Amino acid sequence: MNLKKLLYIDRRIIYLVVAIGALIPIIRPIGLPVEPTDPVIGLFDKLESLSPGDAVIISYDYGPSSEPELNPMSSAILRHCFHREIKVLIMAVFPLGGVNMAIREVERITSEFEDLEYGVDYVNLGYKDGGQAAMKALAVSIRDVFPADVDGNDISAMPIINEIRNYDDVEVVISLATGIIGEWWADLVNAQFSVPVAVGCTAVSAPKYYAFLRSGQMIAVLGGLKGASEYEELLRRNFVWARKVYSDPAEMKLAATTGMDVQAIVHVIIIVFIIFGNIMYFATGKEKGR
Amino acid sequence: MQPLGLSIGVWVNALLTLCILSFLYKDNPFFRFAESLFAGMSLGYYIGIVTVQTLQPNLIRPLGETFFGNHNYLLLIPMALGIMLYFRYIPRISWLSRIALAVYIGYYVGVLMMQKIHGQVIPQTRDTIMPVTTGGIDALWNLVVIIGVFSVLVYFYFSVEHKGVVGKVSRVGIWFLMISFGASFGYTIMARISLLMGRFSFLVNNWIRPMFGS
Amino acid sequence: MRRTIPLVLTFVVGMYPIFAFFVPHASISGVNQWLDRALMIVAAFALPLGVVNLVGMNLTKIKQKREGWPYAIVLLAGLVVMAYFGVIGVITRQHTGFHPTFQMLFDNMVSPLQATMFSLLAFYVASAAYRAFRARNVEATILLVAAIIVMLGRIPFGDMLTGGRMTPLSEWIMNRPNAAAQRGIIIGAALGAASMSIRVILGIERTYLGKSRD
Repeated sequence: MNLKKLLYIDRRIIYLVVAIGALIPIIRPIGLPVEPTDPVIGLFDKLESLSPGDAVIISYDYGPSSEPELNPMSSAILRHCFHREIKVLIMAVFPLGGVNMAIREVERITSEFEDLEYGVDYVNLGYKDGGQAAMKALAVSIRDVFPADVDGNDISAMPIINEIRNYDDVEVVISLATGIIGEWWADLVNAQFSVPVAVGCTAVSAPKYYAFLRSGQMIAVLGGLKGASEYEELLRRNFVWARKVYSDPAEMKLAATTGMDVQAIVHVIIIVFIIFGNIMYFATGKEKGR
Repeated sequence: MQPLGLSIGVWVNALLTLCILSFLYKDNPFFRFAESLFAGMSLGYYIGIVTVQTLQPNLIRPLGETFFGNHNYLLLIPMALGIMLYFRYIPRISWLSRIALAVYIGYYVGVLMMQKIHGQVIPQTRDTIMPVTTGGIDALWNLVVIIGVFSVLVYFYFSVEHKGVVGKVSRVGIWFLMISFGASFGYTIMARISLLMGRFSFLVNNWIRPMFGS
Repeated sequence: MRRTIPLVLTFVVGMYPIFAFFVPHASISGVNQWLDRALMIVAAFALPLGVVNLVGMNLTKIKQKREGWPYAIVLLAGLVVMAYFGVIGVITRQHTGFHPTFQMLFDNMVSPLQATMFSLLAFYVASAAYRAFRARNVEATILLVAAIIVMLGRIPFGDMLTGGRMTPLSEWIMNRPNAAAQRGIIIGAALGAASMSIRVILGIERTYLGKSRD
């Protein structure tokens, strides 16, 4: 077979191979093992160190374009918080979809907990414009930034807001972020108000965030689907309830652990592409410009 | 109204997904329809969230309920500035939009300045000053980080010609950058596959399987 | 005058957050806190600023029946429908939060359209990996090797092939050389952004005010 033809194969054949590689594990999950790493363990340990009644902020700073990576993270972290009886303030500063992702996720996860009381154990504050302006203003008063919750209800009557007034009453901010917003929590909120910040980010941002992790400006970085699957694994290893939740077939369709099967297969395909492409490249005599 | 046992929402969701994926074969009217719909709905979405989540609770309601209480009347200032931004589309008074723009840009560059210096340059530099004489493997890895940061900064310093020692150091900087770009490439692949997995998972588990009752 | 006032305003509003950062007296931080809240409202007006432009452009396209004008109708229809359900609750005071249709449109249309649009990139990176990722020289080889190690370190097969060595090696790359290079980029870019902020605050950089000289 002509090697050059193979090198300049129709791109649609490459697309087809990727599509098949992605579809097989979705139809028949493999269940590959996952090993938690330190950047993820940092958040797990932080939440474990909190006492019931302590509060965290979870900011939904992503839209549908990062949903498959960040929704499983959000589910795992929310479950961990609610099982530990940690109070959760939910908010969003990402304009394209953050608040609606939060509505969906919070509705789904809170329905698993019978005893949770809205306005006492958790509140969905909704979205706020202004980015850094809103983040700075939260240091003074959460109530001033969010006078109403996501549904427009007055929050001043909610007990959770009387207990948690500003960053001083928050143990950690967890930003589930796409793009630059995760960084703002570190270089603005952590730097100026000393609140510990953990970021669950789309894998694209993760390499940059390792610099913030090293400097202690972020206590944890959950990078993409792998980060989410590691968090699920940590929950499974430590809690009976988690082993139950993450063995339910309906839940596993949404879980990051299942998604990691797809990752593994397609990664192998792409690595094979790279190696094969290079072999062809050298075998055909390094054609210029291609 | 539930064809093949599925809601219209799932069908619309699945068909729009296929319209976009059809671009992989070649550009076609279905893709262009979905693309235009996406652009329009995204902008409409902005109008919706801005109105419901910020303007209503933080401006309209405080002004309507207690105009003088809590100095709410002062909210007229940001409101006026916000409206003035749109004067740019009225040629006769377009210069007024510059006043609003000046406040908007001025505030954010001021905040950005502190973010960058206090939140990035200082902590990142501070953490680079690490012990390298303590012995052991950690000291060696600290040295790797120090050399990496320094050489990358030299590479980005364009005020001197990259010749001689500077050239050699900046070459090391390029190697560090290449490692980082390689890592970023690996992570980017991971992110993109996750998105694909999300859409395929929807098509298989929420659309095709329920259609066949599995 | 029409240019001087905006420049003075940029200076005053830009300097204020910096000044308040260094002088945390109650009287100063009080104004700064008001400024934060006010800018949230100005930003809310600024977000849909591009809508006016886009509507104008697409209306012209439809009027003149330029190529692809039916797609302009689709775009405007998407915008109007989404914006209508976004603001109708606030106008009629029937809903304080989102209108249920708004969330439904988001879930079944905006969400899949955006997610699928980005998922196309999975195919493109795979194609790029095959066609363009070549070990042409030392730098490209470093990039390629780092990418493969990081990719193998993110999937279980890497550890299976190397007896558990791939994850630690990949984490070392991320934590040391990658973090060092990223830190160099962060410090360099932050210094650049900070100097640009100073230029804007001091009125040296004025392009954001537009071209006209009046």
